[in-house]
Amino acid sequence: MIKFMRAVIARRRVNRDVDTTQKDHSILSGFKAGAQFDDQLDTEHELTHGEAMLIVLRGAYYVRYVWKLFLAKWLLGTAIIVPGLFIGWFWKIITDHIILQQPLVADEVNFPPHMNWLLRMLEGRDPMEIMVILTTVYVIGLFLIGTRVGGTGAGLFGGRDTASNAENQISSGGSSAGGLWGIVEWWVDVRVTQRFVNAMRGNLFRRLIRSPMTTIDDHRVGDSLYRTLYDTPMVYTCLTEITFSPFYTFVGLGLTFYQLWWTYADVSIQLILLLALMLPITMITTIAPSRWIRRLSQNARAASAATTNALEQTMNNITAVQSLGGMKQEKENFAKRSAHAFWRTRIQMFPWVGVGVIIEIAGWPIGFYLSWHVTNLVIDGQLTVGDFAALFGMYMGLRGTFIGLGRLWLNIQDQAAAARRVFRFLDAPIDEDAHRGELELPPIEHDVAFENVSYTYPNGTQALKQVNLSLPFNQVIAFVGPTGSGKTSLAYLIPAFLKASEGQVRVDGHDVIEADLTSLRDQIAYIFQEHLLLSESIRSNLLIANPAATDAQLTEALTTAGCMEFIEQLPHGIDTVLGRSGDTLSVGQQQRLSIARGLIRDAKILILDEPTAALDPQTENLLVDSLRTASKGRLVVVIAHRLSTIRQADHIVFLEEGQVREVGSHDELMQRTDGPYQEFVHLQSSEAATA
Amino acid sequence: MLDFFVAVITALKGLFRRLFGEQWTALTAYTNRKLSELDDWARQETARSLSDLDEVPEVTFKRMVSVIVRSYPFMRPMLFHIVNIFVVGFLLTFLFTFTGAIASDMWDNKMLVNDKLQPAQSVVILVDDTYVKSEYLSDEENAAVEEAGFAGEDLTAEQRRTVRNRMLVWFFIGEVFGIVLLGFYSYYPSWVWQNVNHYLRVAMVERLEHLSLSFHHSNRAGDAIYRIYQDSSMVVNVLQEVIIGPLEDMRGLFIGILFLLAFDPMLLLVCLASFVPMTILTVKGTPIIRRLAVANRVLNSDFTSRLQETFAAIKIFKANAAEQIAFDRFEVDSQKALDAALYIRFGMILLSMLVGIIGGLTVIGLEYLVVEWTVYERATHVPSWLLVIVGYQVWNLAAYRNAEGRMNQVTGGARGFVRLWCMWQDLFIGLERAFYFLDLKPTVFDAADPTEFPKPVMSVAWRDVHYAYEEDNPVLEGVNLQADAGTITAIVGNTGSGKSTLMTLLLRLYDPTSGTVTINDVDLRALRIDDIRANVAIAMQKNVLFTGKVRDNIGFGMTRIDDEAVRRAAEIACADEFITELEDGYHTELGDRGSKLSSGQRQRLTIARAIVRDTPILILDEPTASLDARTEHRVLQNLSEWGREKVVFLITHRLSTIRNADNIAFLEDGRIVETGSHEDLMSVPDGRYRRFVEAEEIGLAEST
Repeated sequence: MIKFMRAVIARRRVNRDVDTTQKDHSILSGFKAGAQFDDQLDTEHELTHGEAMLIVLRGAYYVRYVWKLFLAKWLLGTAIIVPGLFIGWFWKIITDHIILQQPLVADEVNFPPHMNWLLRMLEGRDPMEIMVILTTVYVIGLFLIGTRVGGTGAGLFGGRDTASNAENQISSGGSSAGGLWGIVEWWVDVRVTQRFVNAMRGNLFRRLIRSPMTTIDDHRVGDSLYRTLYDTPMVYTCLTEITFSPFYTFVGLGLTFYQLWWTYADVSIQLILLLALMLPITMITTIAPSRWIRRLSQNARAASAATTNALEQTMNNITAVQSLGGMKQEKENFAKRSAHAFWRTRIQMFPWVGVGVIIEIAGWPIGFYLSWHVTNLVIDGQLTVGDFAALFGMYMGLRGTFIGLGRLWLNIQDQAAAARRVFRFLDAPIDEDAHRGELELPPIEHDVAFENVSYTYPNGTQALKQVNLSLPFNQVIAFVGPTGSGKTSLAYLIPAFLKASEGQVRVDGHDVIEADLTSLRDQIAYIFQEHLLLSESIRSNLLIANPAATDAQLTEALTTAGCMEFIEQLPHGIDTVLGRSGDTLSVGQQQRLSIARGLIRDAKILILDEPTAALDPQTENLLVDSLRTASKGRLVVVIAHRLSTIRQADHIVFLEEGQVREVGSHDELMQRTDGPYQEFVHLQSSEAATA
Repeated sequence: MLDFFVAVITALKGLFRRLFGEQWTALTAYTNRKLSELDDWARQETARSLSDLDEVPEVTFKRMVSVIVRSYPFMRPMLFHIVNIFVVGFLLTFLFTFTGAIASDMWDNKMLVNDKLQPAQSVVILVDDTYVKSEYLSDEENAAVEEAGFAGEDLTAEQRRTVRNRMLVWFFIGEVFGIVLLGFYSYYPSWVWQNVNHYLRVAMVERLEHLSLSFHHSNRAGDAIYRIYQDSSMVVNVLQEVIIGPLEDMRGLFIGILFLLAFDPMLLLVCLASFVPMTILTVKGTPIIRRLAVANRVLNSDFTSRLQETFAAIKIFKANAAEQIAFDRFEVDSQKALDAALYIRFGMILLSMLVGIIGGLTVIGLEYLVVEWTVYERATHVPSWLLVIVGYQVWNLAAYRNAEGRMNQVTGGARGFVRLWCMWQDLFIGLERAFYFLDLKPTVFDAADPTEFPKPVMSVAWRDVHYAYEEDNPVLEGVNLQADAGTITAIVGNTGSGKSTLMTLLLRLYDPTSGTVTINDVDLRALRIDDIRANVAIAMQKNVLFTGKVRDNIGFGMTRIDDEAVRRAAEIACADEFITELEDGYHTELGDRGSKLSSGQRQRLTIARAIVRDTPILILDEPTASLDARTEHRVLQNLSEWGREKVVFLITHRLSTIRNADNIAFLEDGRIVETGSHEDLMSVPDGRYRRFVEAEEIGLAEST
């Protein structure tokens, strides 16, 4: 055993390169506003108190998704207080009236009035008879509400960061009852939280995947993950913090008053008034730090999201990392961010501890005054020793309650910061927001026309200037031009990935802006330069584009794109599961699959961005031939650099610096001496010739 | 003794059956059904998700020990602090209990009830002998006290106030002390345990980065994220929750048992007897809990993967108007993950409720018995020597209170342990999943005694190289190729013929199944991987850019980035021209995956990245596919100038580029079928290369 342990220990040297101590950051620097992480979109994250309040209320408004369950939880949680009001007094009956055998007469003993009917039932019975009754109640209660066992809850272990506690936050649930009631209430509690969080996650997910093309590039995958998984649960906590927490605090307060009324009526009033002072004191104390807590929470979350980014990026591009020998660099990058995130998570404690200390100190005068006053009464013989203990117990309990109420606002800050991160992307515009067209497009049959179209990117770069162009159906049209000439931007305008800044894009005479987005995009297949494949089977990669495709259609598309030859060699054929981002295939094969995915949609307009870049000439020829065949009854747009591809197009649109320079067939354009296309071709072929 | 034990259990069982037979049968039947349903569900879901069921972590005692031992190295750097936390924590608890006991004695018994102080107490609050009990004073001192008018065993009201006031001062000091400690001790353990978690995370990432690509191809990125983010975090609980916490609980249990034994062995016996069904239930339930815990982690990891994959490929869903499909898949996976989280906890709750009911019944039953004993003042079994200290010779109120508390302690402790046990299952499964990464051995690793990297590089050669990603699907089948310094070798062949694979072997991303790849006749396997990759630069076909600045992307993987070198490399790759036009030039932040740039621009950055490293071996995999003819021409010209002394490999389909190469290797069916210059190969009648060139020219000819 010892040998084994030694072997295990000796085997690993722990890397301490970066530990979580941030030597170059003072703790105070963590409190400063304006910390930036690698997020490009969410850079303004300071909230005023008013905004925080709105966010909290907005979070609470989502209760509409789960209001039935929420109500059920509320009722179950409230109703279970009732049996406690009775069973809580059993100990007194057992002590005084069974063991000490004092006579039990309903109106002469010191019980609160709600106990009377029960006491009347027990009145005049033999002590052991009473015990039998109480024991029976205990046993029934044990099964029904878990008497003597306590509440129900099912937290698992979490870690020392936010992410690893998110699951518990959603699914632990809780009930103050045990037994059957406890299980039911617990189940309702877990489900209401889960439904709520799931709905929030769903909303966020739906918005994120509909982000416009212009911001997709700025979304960090790790950050989106972090928000969806670990920020959303906090919105539910928001809800409970402003509903359940104050409600149960007030109920508890009311019940304490009620029960104390029958014991320490005079002193308790004084005590309560005194302790009520804790409420404003706490509230005033927490106003300033609540801003820091919000900021620190936001920063801790952003830092953790940045860690996720680093990790996700490395994992997703592992081939590149390994090929370029970037392992050490990426590891250090991750380590640095992980350390920073831990530090950010940790320094969040400072304001909490600070507030705790201040409230504690603020409470001292009251505590010391009370001790002084009540002990004086005891020394003077006006109160008994037991009274002091009871009153001090009350003091502690009520003090906690009032502090809890006063800290309500403070407690919500952490959640408000997280909720803001969720709402930030719920509010970010998506395609459908900018594009309110409702026209159901009929099947496109004739042409796509650009009328005076200009496009300027949000950052001010003008990509297209005054483009006038008509792309008739039944043709293969090639967009040609130097890198950065606006080919892709022009193509993006057709499925409304981008919206023209000026002018109109029309399909069959309908302005695409007025068209319903789904009815437009359903008729267009766009094949990107990057071959984004999912690590699923080839079949399901294709079915994304057209879930209704039959096997025959799949085979046809795969054959046209030249995929069958390599698919046939794969162990499971079309059901072979691809590796991460399709990496088990060669780039050329990925490209062909991407093309097949475009073809399977059988769309009216087919746009291919550099479809043949990674193909060998033979495959390229086959593909271009099939595109020509496919263009019957369709419009095929190809963005290409390869002469061999371009030449076979019916029409060539030559772009330069965002403007259309020339349009025509290869032959037409070649006849114009000094035309830019002619020059372009000349360069390629002359190069080929000189070699 | 045993007979008695069995008799008690049988009697209790009979009684219980008679009283609650029906309810109990219904409850157990329901629970059994529910648990086995859950179990089936867990098995199914886990099986669906894990291709290899052997991967399901087992929690056995041996493995638990092994996991604990394996956590140790990550704690070792923090050992001093960990020990510190526990020792100081223990000392502080001790201090507070001790001072608390004294304070409550002084406050309650002396000040409130009115009694004189112990001598030490008088010292603490700096009061004179008149406050001290006479029995502790010498005769002269007593005489002095008497003379001062403070005789007797009581304090005066004035004295009581003084004691009270001075104690309040002590309370104040204690509060201040406590607050400082509270602040420090909420921060300090966090720092320590976060570090432990951090070391484990970094070790996992480091291992993952060194694992060979075949591992990465068959594992989802989201799974790695889940393991590193969620599973590894369990390491912070090992010490407190598995070792120290239970020991503390044991102490309570032990004390409870001793007390009960003293009161009446019968009580203890019944309490212990209740452990039997508790244990049986737990033993039966544990495998189910375990499988549910596995299902929970696996399904949540799947959900993470689903999100990661969707977010990474948003464009595809958008282009195919498939957002709804993405959302439907999200819904399914999300619901499964939530269900899994619910079910593991439901399993725990069912188990702990049953155990709780057994414990509750035991306590309620015994309580009835004890109350009866108390009413009839039955004698306890407290040994006579103990009676000097406590007055429990017969059952009375205090004895009842005490016994009840202890019974609750014993049965409640058992119930708490069952709950803890369930949580352990999850904890260990999490850690098993985390350590799983650390257990994986990279298939490509440094030799025990690596050779120095040969310099200068004279030649690179493949000798009878075979390679297959999957056993029955060979990619390379006996490649022989040599390239010398100062030459450009073009690798030509159809899509999927293994061109890129050939190059990855040179980078040692994989090792050949048989045969060798050599540099200056030294087998790559004899060299350090880091050395190889530092001496081979590749511009990859997939233009992967990383988030960060342009400059950092070009200098990726370099220990020190020289701005001047970066600029020069960018100039060679014709990237300088557009970089300088960007907002912040070389310091422009690129979006995720660098996709703010057009693909032609991305490609030039990739080329610059290969150039800046200035390595003796350079691989350009389809370097110009996305470039327009003019730029391509310029880039290639710059490159041939720059790469004069180097071994350059070029994978391309473009004839114009291929023709410039000194040597062309035509790859087909995993073999090099032809090598030679363009002219040589074109002169082979019906040669493979010639047919390839003709295919390209047909494309050109058709339209001219």
